[in-house]
Amino acid sequence: MLEIKNLMVFFENALAINDLSLEVHRGKIVGVLGSNSAGKTTLMNTISGLIIDMKKKEDRKGGERITVLGEIRFEGEDITDTKPSERVKKGIVLSRERHPVFPDSTVEENLKIATYLRKDPQIKKSFEFVYTVFPRLKELRKRKAGFCSGGEQQMLAIGMALMTKPRLLLMDEPLLGLSPAMQQDLIRAIKEIREEGVTILVTEQFARPLLPIIDRGYVIENGTLILTGTGKELMDNPEVKAAYFGL
Amino acid sequence: MTTSILVYGLVNSVILALIAMGFSLTFGISGVANFAYGGFYLLSGYLTWMLLNYLGLPFALAMLITVAVAGLLGFLTYWVILLRVRGIALSEVIATFALGAGMLEFFRWMGFVTYEFTLPCFMKGRVEIFGVPLDYQRLFIIGIGLALVIFLYFFTHHTRIGLSFRGIAQNERTAISLGIESDWTAALSLALGSAMAAVAAIAILPLGIISINVGYDVLLIAVAVGIIGGLESVPGILIGSLILGYAQVITGMYLAPEWMMVVYLAAIVLVLAIKPSGLFGKFKELEERV
Ligand SMILES: Nc1ncnc2c1ncn2[C@@H]1O[C@H](COP(=O)(O)OP(=O)(O)OP(=O)(O)O)[C@@H](O)[C@H]1O
Ligand SMILES: [Mg+2]
Repeated sequence: MLEIKNLMVFFENALAINDLSLEVHRGKIVGVLGSNSAGKTTLMNTISGLIIDMKKKEDRKGGERITVLGEIRFEGEDITDTKPSERVKKGIVLSRERHPVFPDSTVEENLKIATYLRKDPQIKKSFEFVYTVFPRLKELRKRKAGFCSGGEQQMLAIGMALMTKPRLLLMDEPLLGLSPAMQQDLIRAIKEIREEGVTILVTEQFARPLLPIIDRGYVIENGTLILTGTGKELMDNPEVKAAYFGL
Repeated sequence: MTTSILVYGLVNSVILALIAMGFSLTFGISGVANFAYGGFYLLSGYLTWMLLNYLGLPFALAMLITVAVAGLLGFLTYWVILLRVRGIALSEVIATFALGAGMLEFFRWMGFVTYEFTLPCFMKGRVEIFGVPLDYQRLFIIGIGLALVIFLYFFTHHTRIGLSFRGIAQNERTAISLGIESDWTAALSLALGSAMAAVAAIAILPLGIISINVGYDVLLIAVAVGIIGGLESVPGILIGSLILGYAQVITGMYLAPEWMMVVYLAAIVLVLAIKPSGLFGKFKELEERV
């Protein structure tokens, strides 16, 4: 479904992603594991197309030079230069790191804003789906997003991404800063979302909670792919254990 | 005396709010301080005048066309002029100010400076409110101000485009990640702001004659109200307008009209000294403000 070949991303002359290739097959949950500044967010921004927008704005004001090399294919089609809104239309959506929601709007309005590109009549169904996956959001729907807890905002951020009716859902560190109980709840939600036919690419620093549910994982360090394998293989790998399980 | 201060202060405040709203709206959504605002305001006045006097169109039609043209010009301003300097706040201000001054001076050059340039009132006549005589036009202005606030509330809470405006205003990158386009939204915000300048012009200009200086005054008013109340905040605009509106009327009555401008500037300096983001504003840094 998603195929990345020899991706390189530079900020000025600093290499953030180094010759990275990866594949995501339909209906799978794929994980990208890496510690701080490994390049997870850069990768997600590149797949979602946000980087195209960042680049455009930097170019305009003569700021930082951002270079993207390599190839990104979605359903066989080259989308390397496609802008973010077009990618959302194709079904790729990113739920950004640290759940940046619209704080002055209510939870329900946040979800509504996310339906901006939808033309189909099934928006109501999407609301129902989001509220089934995250029942808490239904209780909170009249509350301003800025007054929700971090965990609730994380659910909202994922809920907003779901409102675009994605086929490939990108999640950047959704488990970050959540209590273990909340993490388990989110893991359950991620599985439910996959059951609904959505393919998932998710990043994480600590592999522990995520590894059991991923079909395949890619471990990156300093923008370079160092290891890949099924969730089980990675769980049994001593290096991964040492680096990402804190053992 | 007191009742007339109350009534005229209120009317004056609504006038200021009506003038400031479009400017503030554009800034709140896209971060563009549209310093061509006074140009759009006056252009709308002259355009309506020309449609009425050269083409003899009915007033309602002339109004509609003017609002549409102002909106369209605002939209084009973004793509043609602002896009090139987008993201560099100072250049945005300089570019739009140059455009606005260009528009205003163009009309001066055209010789649009005589007393014949007035717009008709919607309806002639007056009523008494608490013993204070008030003409219908000023009542209309209050009505239009109210209608606009209600319209904006509905628009930004219940329409797809309006909701996307709020998305971009609150977190641009998240909005983009959901498929909302920032340039398109910014261009629309300029269109809406300029159309609102046209509405304000058509409602307010009949109170006097259309003159070039009005264009510069309107820009100053929009900036002053925004600085005092806090740009991009609707309650801020209303409070800022009330403060300035009453201050103006009171100085006009007890001191002399020349003092009005001093009051303006004093109010701006005072607010900037105490709370730089404006009484209701959210922005912390002065640099981010006009
Ligand atoms: N806009 C930018 N300009 C310059 N360098 C950047 C920019 N964005 C990211 N980088 C650099 O690219 C590298 C990868 O950053 P990235 O944010 O992708 O890491 P990450 O894996 O998401 O880290 P974290 O776990 O902290 O979120 C880092 O060295 C970072 O400093
Ligand atoms: Mg990151």
